[in-house]
Amino acid sequence: MRKALFTTAAVAAAALVVTLPGALAKTRATTGTAATPGVTKSLITIGGTFPLSLSPAATLYAPIPKGMQIYFSWVNSRINKGDRKRGVYGRQIRWKYYDDEYNPAKTVQFTNQLLLQDRVFAIVGSLGTEHNQAIRPMLNQRKVPQILVSTGASEWGTKTKQFPWTVGWQPDYISEGRAYGQWIARNAPNAKIAVFYQNDDYGKDYLNGLKAGLGAKRSLITSEQSYEATETSYASQIARQKATGANTWVLLTTPTPTGRALGTAKALGWKPDTIVINSVSAADSVMRSLAASAQVGADFINGAVSTAYLKNATNPQYAKDPWVRNYYRVMAKYGPGLDARNGFYYYGFAKAYDVVRLLYLAGKNPTRASLLAATKKMNWVNPYTIKGVRVKTSARDHFPLSQFKLIRWRNGSWAEFGPLVKGR
Amino acid sequence: MLAFAFAEFVQQIVSGLATGSIFASLALALVLIYRSTNVVNFAQGEMAMFTTYIAWALMDRGLSYWPAFLLTLAIAFTGGAAIERTIIRPFEQKSALAIVIVTIGLLIALNGAAGWIWGAEVKAFDSPFPNTTWDVGGVAISSQDVGTFCVCLATVALLWAFFNLTPLGLAMRASAINPTTSRLVGVRVGWMLALGWGLAAVLGAIAGMMAAPTVFLDPNMMLVILIYAFAAAVLGGIDSPIGAVVGGLSLGVLLNLIGRYVDFIGPELRLPTALLVLLGVLMIRPQGLFGHAVVRRV
Amino acid sequence: MRYVALALRLALLAAVVGLIALLPRYASEFRLSQFTFVAAYFIALAGLNILTGFSGQISLGHFAFVGIGAYTAALLMLGRPGLETYGLDPPGWLPLGDGMRGVFTIPFAGLVAGAFGYAFGLPAQRLAGVSLALATFAFAVSLPLVAKRFEDVTGGGGGLALPLPSTPFGWDISTRHWLYYEAWVAAGVIALIAWLLLRGRAGRALAALRDGEIAAVSAGVNPTAYKTFAFGVSAAFAGVAGALFAIEVAYVNPDTFPLSQSILMLASLVLGGMGSLYGVLMGALIMQFLPVYAQTPPLLPGSFSKESPAVVFGVMLIVIMFIAPDGLVGLLRRLLRPMMVRLKRHPVATEDATFGTSRRAET
Repeated sequence: MRKALFTTAAVAAAALVVTLPGALAKTRATTGTAATPGVTKSLITIGGTFPLSLSPAATLYAPIPKGMQIYFSWVNSRINKGDRKRGVYGRQIRWKYYDDEYNPAKTVQFTNQLLLQDRVFAIVGSLGTEHNQAIRPMLNQRKVPQILVSTGASEWGTKTKQFPWTVGWQPDYISEGRAYGQWIARNAPNAKIAVFYQNDDYGKDYLNGLKAGLGAKRSLITSEQSYEATETSYASQIARQKATGANTWVLLTTPTPTGRALGTAKALGWKPDTIVINSVSAADSVMRSLAASAQVGADFINGAVSTAYLKNATNPQYAKDPWVRNYYRVMAKYGPGLDARNGFYYYGFAKAYDVVRLLYLAGKNPTRASLLAATKKMNWVNPYTIKGVRVKTSARDHFPLSQFKLIRWRNGSWAEFGPLVKGR
Repeated sequence: MLAFAFAEFVQQIVSGLATGSIFASLALALVLIYRSTNVVNFAQGEMAMFTTYIAWALMDRGLSYWPAFLLTLAIAFTGGAAIERTIIRPFEQKSALAIVIVTIGLLIALNGAAGWIWGAEVKAFDSPFPNTTWDVGGVAISSQDVGTFCVCLATVALLWAFFNLTPLGLAMRASAINPTTSRLVGVRVGWMLALGWGLAAVLGAIAGMMAAPTVFLDPNMMLVILIYAFAAAVLGGIDSPIGAVVGGLSLGVLLNLIGRYVDFIGPELRLPTALLVLLGVLMIRPQGLFGHAVVRRV
Repeated sequence: MRYVALALRLALLAAVVGLIALLPRYASEFRLSQFTFVAAYFIALAGLNILTGFSGQISLGHFAFVGIGAYTAALLMLGRPGLETYGLDPPGWLPLGDGMRGVFTIPFAGLVAGAFGYAFGLPAQRLAGVSLALATFAFAVSLPLVAKRFEDVTGGGGGLALPLPSTPFGWDISTRHWLYYEAWVAAGVIALIAWLLLRGRAGRALAALRDGEIAAVSAGVNPTAYKTFAFGVSAAFAGVAGALFAIEVAYVNPDTFPLSQSILMLASLVLGGMGSLYGVLMGALIMQFLPVYAQTPPLLPGSFSKESPAVVFGVMLIVIMFIAPDGLVGLLRRLLRPMMVRLKRHPVATEDATFGTSRRAET
């Protein structure tokens, strides 16, 4: 036995000693292709990570990368009227994305795969606050653009000095929360507010914005209750909220919990006068589904308030809008069988529009640096957003989209009301 | 004031019983499979979710509730039995660990398949119970909750009757405990195993259809409920249907009471605390509240 | 005959070690990063192998110990254990400074995780089979939630961002190579420890407990000591893996340690082949590469897997179990040793005992 042990150890050590110097002799440089990675004469490769499976919190966002893909397919095949070329300056866009299961460790691994194996030009639209936080230092160190991330955390816009290569896209949660706070303070100054929020940075960002918007009226909040993604029943929390006698209910949740919360409130016999639903949960299809259901019903949510910055593709108000029609046409052509009424396809579509604009702005021979420079001087109208919203960045403004409007649910559809709100 | 607080206390218990019934229903399916095949089926929740989606799809195509319900149960039964025969049977003679892996694979595949076929958007699901809420002394009790509770009790009663009063149930129990002897006596053991899975799938479908109206339908709805159901089943005794129900209801009430009255724990620790209490019970009584102590022969 | 077998085994060992050592010369940077993870998974699975494979205690929550190790390493690297918030001070002898170098956090991570494992193992003794599985399950579910709760220490949901790794002591070697060797040297050390343990008294005692507890006890084996020992050691290994994980990913938060990773660990171990260290290595390869291949499976059209990587993954698990119920290493063994009786059924007392009831007829 001892002899076997010795022999084995000796053999292993010998193998190591023999091979190690050979291995160490050639330490390769880790970076260093001179040409711009991801850009060839005919192709631009971009990529991102998204939660596509196994995550109670996030698989409903899976249509986003698909919506982006469909838009890119359209751009790749249509002929630009300006230079009579397909794609962007004649380059086809290749869009790669991986499933990170909403796990930041996997986000890091797959982002590495995109960078090192698929050799993408930029990381675009990756989803998740913590997920983007996990890859941010590495991407900034390697000077890789991390653009138009799919999360509304405010720090993409506030930490630009520290992390210049990281750029957000959508109006941030704090701004949205602030808008709700200001609206309530103005229109219902004696309200008793109950807030139900998701217990993570998303929900807490919203909550902080709400309190900031309420300002002095912060004391109107009578109840703050949260839930975890691991819970399916909120009766305990909502019963408490009902018991405080609140008449205004602010839901800072994601779509499925929103439905559950509303259903639970109704089952508990509580009907607040005013219901505020955050924009992510206020997707048209979700609202219609809730209105049609017996558990919630149209009456319960009639008058609910939210915000929007994208055109609502299922709203009759936009039925004749040429861009919305374009959306449906392109979806039907490149994504037959997909349910185009799902707002997350539309979200991806709208974002992809801005990606393409940025690629154009980066010039005929784009480099990562020129793409980054482009993100600092965005200034156009994205036709998929509502009227008045402008995509704009500058030396002082690092939030591409920061405007939105309040909307109210009336008899089966959302209607915009009030002036354009400036989030930042 | 005290009456007010008391009403809230009762409300928490009532809501706890309602959520607990959902855990109990799925736990019953877990127990049934364990009793008939000695396997913990980790895919039970996803099978329940998948069959609930089938019910939704049927209703979406125009079927009304009860025909869709019954048709779904039939499909669930066939599906469960088929899964047992094709995927599980080859491993039954081998290790239990292999079956654990296979059921996990099934869980993952079904979860992905549901999202792929029907999309991950949340959908509303009809309830067979009228949408009313009664106010009993300040406590709101919805007919959905009462209905789920009653269905749960009825199911466990039927299961008990099945296992203890019918020859088929007896045959199933026999095949689980002692397949060789059962064969000698004339029991078709293979059929019994498939039957066990089929019935469990039916129970799972019922659990899913009872849960979906309040939990709303999405591919991940059962992932979390499975955790609770597993805990409830083990607490009650993995081979006891009554235990599963008691376990599920207790867990539901416990969660609510902890959430309401033990504030310093914080919202994140509701579930871990409940699980800790559970494990505490198991340490005192390792076979679960109603389980049978295992006698191991040397 | 015996020496031929021994020589073959040594040759195999030499080949594996040689391959691992030479990989950096020929592989791309990305592949190296993937294989660094393989090393970390190898260490964690070696631990699970001791717990589940040898001592027969099924653990559905082992990645939680990896998480504990990762958080420990992260806190040490950031130089702020955060214990002050709870009125505890970090011990004076801890060379924290501004933040420990990654490599030095490894033993600490192992120790802390091992302590947790031991503490878990003590009460968990009273449970067996399904109840134990539930306890480990509960542990894995609870860890992310506990991490969220104590956010002063752990950074809560936002997590802890760690400094990007870099080669220490000014050595002239690229960071990627450094990380790779760091991980594999650790893996080698762990493999040696595991091998020695299992060949020695501890391994024999654990196997005896697994195969027939009552007989083992009557032969003088102390079940409590060995079972808790198994938990402690396996958790310590997982902790070491966690430190490597934290160093490599440079970010820890509760979402990095979900229940699904614990389940994946168990599945990978079984698919690789429980029992031998080669099986563990195979399991580590599976754990790293199966999720990647599920997204771009070699035989299926790419678009299907994009829609649902989960379906591909789940089906793969089932298919591999069909082809190789003893794990891939078991399959290789069977294929390479035609002398063994093809239809030999492996004794299943292991797994049955852990689920409490006998599955075979007691005629």
